[in-house]
Amino acid sequence: MSIPGPVSPDVLSVRGLSKAFGAVQALRDVSVDCRAGEIHALVGENGSGKSTLLGIASGFLAPDEGSVEIGGRRLARHSPAAARRLGLGIAYQDYSHVLDLSVAENIFLAVPAGARPHYGQMHGWAEETLRSFNLDLPVTAPTGSLSLAERQLLEVAKALLTRPKVLLLDEPTTALGPDAVERLHALVLERARAGVAIVYVSHRLPEVLAVANRVTVLRDGVGQGTFETASVSEEALVALMIGRPLTVAFPERRVLPGDAEVVLEVSGLRGERFGPIDLVVRRGEIVGIAGAEGNGQIPFLRALAGVERAAGEATCAGARLDMRSPLGPLRAGVVLLSGDRRGEALFPVLSVRANATIQVLRRLARAGIVPRGRERRAIAELVQRLRVRMGSMEQPVQSLSGGNQQKVSLIRPFLRGDVKVILAEEPTQGVDVGARFDIYDALRSKADDGVATVVKSSDPLELAGICDRVVVMSRGRIVEEIPRHELGERRIVEAIVGARPGAVREGATA
Amino acid sequence: MKRGLLPLALMTVLIVALGAYTNAHHSVFLGRQNLNSLLIEAMPLILVSMGQAVALLVGGFDVSVAALMTMVVVTASFTLTPTTSGFALVSGSLALVGVGIATGLFNALLIRVFRLPSIVATLGTLSVLQGASLWLRSYPQGAINTDVTSALISGVGFVPLAFIGVVLLAVLADVWLYRTRSGLALRSVGLDETSSRRLGMPTGRVIVLAFVACSVMASIGGFYLAAEVQVGSPIIGNQALYSIAAAVLGGASLAGGRGSFFGTLLAAFFLTEIDNVLPLFQQPTEYADMTIGALILLALLLYQSPELLARLRSARERVDPAKAPAS
Repeated sequence: MSIPGPVSPDVLSVRGLSKAFGAVQALRDVSVDCRAGEIHALVGENGSGKSTLLGIASGFLAPDEGSVEIGGRRLARHSPAAARRLGLGIAYQDYSHVLDLSVAENIFLAVPAGARPHYGQMHGWAEETLRSFNLDLPVTAPTGSLSLAERQLLEVAKALLTRPKVLLLDEPTTALGPDAVERLHALVLERARAGVAIVYVSHRLPEVLAVANRVTVLRDGVGQGTFETASVSEEALVALMIGRPLTVAFPERRVLPGDAEVVLEVSGLRGERFGPIDLVVRRGEIVGIAGAEGNGQIPFLRALAGVERAAGEATCAGARLDMRSPLGPLRAGVVLLSGDRRGEALFPVLSVRANATIQVLRRLARAGIVPRGRERRAIAELVQRLRVRMGSMEQPVQSLSGGNQQKVSLIRPFLRGDVKVILAEEPTQGVDVGARFDIYDALRSKADDGVATVVKSSDPLELAGICDRVVVMSRGRIVEEIPRHELGERRIVEAIVGARPGAVREGATA
Repeated sequence: MKRGLLPLALMTVLIVALGAYTNAHHSVFLGRQNLNSLLIEAMPLILVSMGQAVALLVGGFDVSVAALMTMVVVTASFTLTPTTSGFALVSGSLALVGVGIATGLFNALLIRVFRLPSIVATLGTLSVLQGASLWLRSYPQGAINTDVTSALISGVGFVPLAFIGVVLLAVLADVWLYRTRSGLALRSVGLDETSSRRLGMPTGRVIVLAFVACSVMASIGGFYLAAEVQVGSPIIGNQALYSIAAAVLGGASLAGGRGSFFGTLLAAFFLTEIDNVLPLFQQPTEYADMTIGALILLALLLYQSPELLARLRSARERVDPAKAPAS
């Protein structure tokens, strides 16, 4: 399905790619091309094969069938070094940083031999290089000490340093707030104008469509066609991505009774990077936390869950919350859904069943032994209700897609009858469209059961869609509160932009 | 870099302290004769430990080094016999290095192509080499050419030339490791292989070369072991764990990417020094093993201490409300 367009040469051309991982066919006969100066969006749900396609194009993975051409020359050996020599640069979704080396050393290693300074001049050169990208990072600090947003921007900068003819961006904005996304897009557009062919993978459709010329849709490893972005609607693309029209919407919100009891009350909570914060969350209410990245939202949530140290007070259902360790909040019925699913929320090698029941084993046990049948019956209904897509309950969680992993961690608060507060950190980060709405439904139905929920999200649309109220944080403090009748994507973005450091409004309510 | 200097400082202090204490009780210790034999004695361990440091730098282990050194000694009893002369001496010596290169390539094959963990792969190689040595010489026999062995240990004054050479090598290797791009690449591969590959580094080649370098250093260490025993002994090499100990005491991280060749040299010398002084105090050698074990644990704790202290300090600051942002 090629589109007649301006005649410019294809700088990247992948033809007939197929790739299987064991029994899973990740790609089946996929062809994509990208012209000089074009921004080509690649969209699809998680597990649709986008990252596999980029992996093959960049030489990191070898295809079972098919070929890759970069700048008119065929990639003969499948190695990242060979692809780089042909003029390909890539920003990986999970980065290519050596975290124990300094920022300067990472930049040094990322540039081709000709562009490298003398080893001893590395630091000054790295500072200059970062300045040209408007990045202000400490060059001598270990890369591991950077925030996720900083690492993401550094990854894109490293990809650009190779002066590529083809630039692949794999989900380059997952950790970025709206203003950083805009800066990144300005940079990408500038490179496209300079003639670089750019393939841009993202699950944030509006974001990527705002800059792309053409878009290719992948579903289950099969190409669903390439379109001019100007001639295709977002709805049509989503329908192609999920294979059915998107009829589900955000779950319905009930009107909260004005006298709903207060479940979570935070007063004067402060920690290293936030505070003091006062916040009240009522029974059945979902409160959103918005703000530019790195303004204390995550440390605040984590402090409430006892994961990070803080001073000040919080009560849960009237009882003082012991936040010295995660144990206190857990016992009081406060559950944190960590944004770091693989690192903190789940045991990647354990099965779906084991991950779901791990907090309630004592209740399921009979004389100290957990009958497997009981475990399965306990979660069978929840697995269906949350629409966890999996081969079997015994499948390791690491083999599921991101969205389904998140659903597994959501089974836990459902299994525990005594949950009073859910603290959700980026509940749909890296989650595909279909699964997102399942997660929204799950959070809302828990709220309707009487749970008080706090959701931290960098997606304003999401906050507007599921929250009863949104608070905006800046420099570690709540600077604005948006009531339900004013909620909207635009309103939230404006509040975040207005709340940016340097532009804090006078008289904002704390 | 401060963290990197701690092992060097610690090893220097220990070497000097042990030497001074020993000399105060037995003045023979700092005599030229004893110093000369101490330096020569230290050569096999220094060489093999520097090789081991390369394997540790890429995140691997090589436990086959001692068996390889034995194999080199046994092979020397065939290729460098007392009657060997002229060009045969050169080819005989090259054969020993060849044994090292072959062993390194074999280890690299198991690790890179068959994807065995390095500790398992080299354990297999260890057994194979041990068996082969015993098959070639079932008991110590076959004298080794003394022209070669005395050339190896010749020196100026009481300092063997080879020791000067190995000190130079260690310093140059450290400069390379911490002041050049290829040295940085080696550390990078050891710290994070996936990211290094993504950055276009030939990670496979780096790891293969590292294991070959390790084996070559062990085989050169084998020359000095041969100079020491002067006979084809199939049960001589026992430096595998000592070499890992020396590299770690010298600053290497078992997780890869960190280490110092000069630190390794100092640590290997120190371990030899312990072995050397115990007979002076009429102490059984079992004490050496226990001392070395305790020292490794202490040294590792000390090397970790900056991180441990930082963690404690930040934990204390975090709970201190006075340090939180003012309201």
